[in-house]
Amino acid sequence: MIGLEHYLIVSAILFGLGLMGVVMRSNLIVIYMSLELMLNAANLALVSFSRFTNTVDGQVMVFFVITVAAAEVAVGLALIVALYRKRQISEVDELTSLKL
Amino acid sequence: MNIAASILEIAVIGLGIAVMLADLWLPREKKIWLGYAAAAGLALILFGSFSMSGNPATLAFGDMYILDAFALFFKRFFLIAAILVMIVSIEYSPKFQTGKGEYFTLVLFALAGMMFSASANHFALLFVSMELMTITFYVLTSFLRNQLLSLEAGIKYLILGALSSGFLVYGIALVYGTTSTMDFATLREKSALMTDNPLLLVGLLMIIGGLGFKIAAFPFQFWAPDVYQGSPSSTTAFLAVGSKAAGFALLMRLLFVAVPEITLQWEKLLMVIAGITILYGNLCALPQRNLKRLLGYSSIANAGYLMMGIAAMSASGSTAILYYLYSYMFTVIAAFLIIILVMKHTGAEDIVHLAKLHERAPGLAGVMTLSMVSLAGIPPLAGFFGKFLLFEAVIEQATVQSSYYLLAAVAIVGVVISLYYYFGVIRTIYWGKQQMIPEDIQISPASKAALWVCSVVIIYLGIMPERLMQAATAAVESLKF
Repeated sequence: MIGLEHYLIVSAILFGLGLMGVVMRSNLIVIYMSLELMLNAANLALVSFSRFTNTVDGQVMVFFVITVAAAEVAVGLALIVALYRKRQISEVDELTSLKL
Repeated sequence: MNIAASILEIAVIGLGIAVMLADLWLPREKKIWLGYAAAAGLALILFGSFSMSGNPATLAFGDMYILDAFALFFKRFFLIAAILVMIVSIEYSPKFQTGKGEYFTLVLFALAGMMFSASANHFALLFVSMELMTITFYVLTSFLRNQLLSLEAGIKYLILGALSSGFLVYGIALVYGTTSTMDFATLREKSALMTDNPLLLVGLLMIIGGLGFKIAAFPFQFWAPDVYQGSPSSTTAFLAVGSKAAGFALLMRLLFVAVPEITLQWEKLLMVIAGITILYGNLCALPQRNLKRLLGYSSIANAGYLMMGIAAMSASGSTAILYYLYSYMFTVIAAFLIIILVMKHTGAEDIVHLAKLHERAPGLAGVMTLSMVSLAGIPPLAGFFGKFLLFEAVIEQATVQSSYYLLAAVAIVGVVISLYYYFGVIRTIYWGKQQMIPEDIQISPASKAALWVCSVVIIYLGIMPERLMQAATAAVESLKF
């Protein structure tokens, strides 16, 4: 029998993978994908909580999260493209013009 | 449904859409008038807000939205901030090659996000209003898209902002999973019964982390200096004032209305955050040569002072926060307006460019001195009285728990350190060595008016704080201490 804890473990693993990706990778696109993974891990947790507590708030929240994530991706990718056009870089290690 | 409760936000969004549409038809050289029109519209909305009352509180949209005295206080704060920021933006807008109209529109939409966040009574509205603000700021920070610095600031804000919203949503999921509610009123009852549920505590910590990013409190402050330095100065001003205040509005509502019982257990944690934020901001500000970056670190330090008010966990602490936010708004906006006016043609905003400002523009030098002195907290200016209230709130608590004395001591050390760099700026203005040929400084009437308003209010709030104190005390009453 698959219970709430199984869903939560998967969701925690996904969140951890996303966090690791953000911290350890240096390519902007990969970092961005990892950020989306974190949001979707939270979505999975919300939906499974919603299912197992018999309330719909969580599922409604997921719609908001998806919508906001889409807006975030639209703006984020535009920014990354603008940066690439400007200087042909897509690695965070090269973003070093702002320093003391 | 009670749509009338959110009439102010609807008016702001309507104004935003109107500005966006007008932008389509206006010829390029007249777009600057959109900014003036938006500022005038906001002034009308602000005026209209005084016909509303937050007492008794009105709920709307399935109890997601609350209009009480606290929310109304913050909405007026955001409206005043946005009017001033609009004037700052007009002054800065010649630097935008395209999209002046869009810039004004985005400021209005960010304002709508802030105003909604003041009324959040449910995690869904908390999340959506915060993201409306944050996503708009991604665009605003990188608005000079031909300059690498601005793009870099935008990317850094984007990645760290998205990371913090990831934590926020996961935290919301955990809190929802343990209490099976997202409504703050229900959460208040349920969380009181499960103050030691680890999953709930972890979830709340993640949410506080997401909000801590907005206010640039330790350990979520890394973005602030870079983003403050790289973004257009008008965006930086709005980020420093509006985004921070919205973060505090949400944090206070969450900690004191939704989970008061759990907050009581966290006094040590909040004190540590406040103390480290104060020391970090002030120490890192010492070696800075770029004025915007200096103000970035100073904004971290100020987030620390404001956190003291949260850590005090009392009505007087929250009143002090509301008062301090007002004094901070006028000083910071005055400072940024001067940065824009004086450093119009220099590429970077180094402090040395202010040298001998009192010979070129004695008025500007005076206002800059006033705002630095107020930020440093010297009586009788607004900044002093704000800090005084925060210290008073902390010392009040120290009679119950002595570790508050330590926090007050740390904060005093922070204030003393900050004297050095704030007075460094003043020293450069009057006694600095000029390195290049000075440019003419032209001030538009609107900017002149804004500077007058800021300096008069800085002095007024310091000498006669009673009226704002009354308003703040009335607003804090709806937090149910």
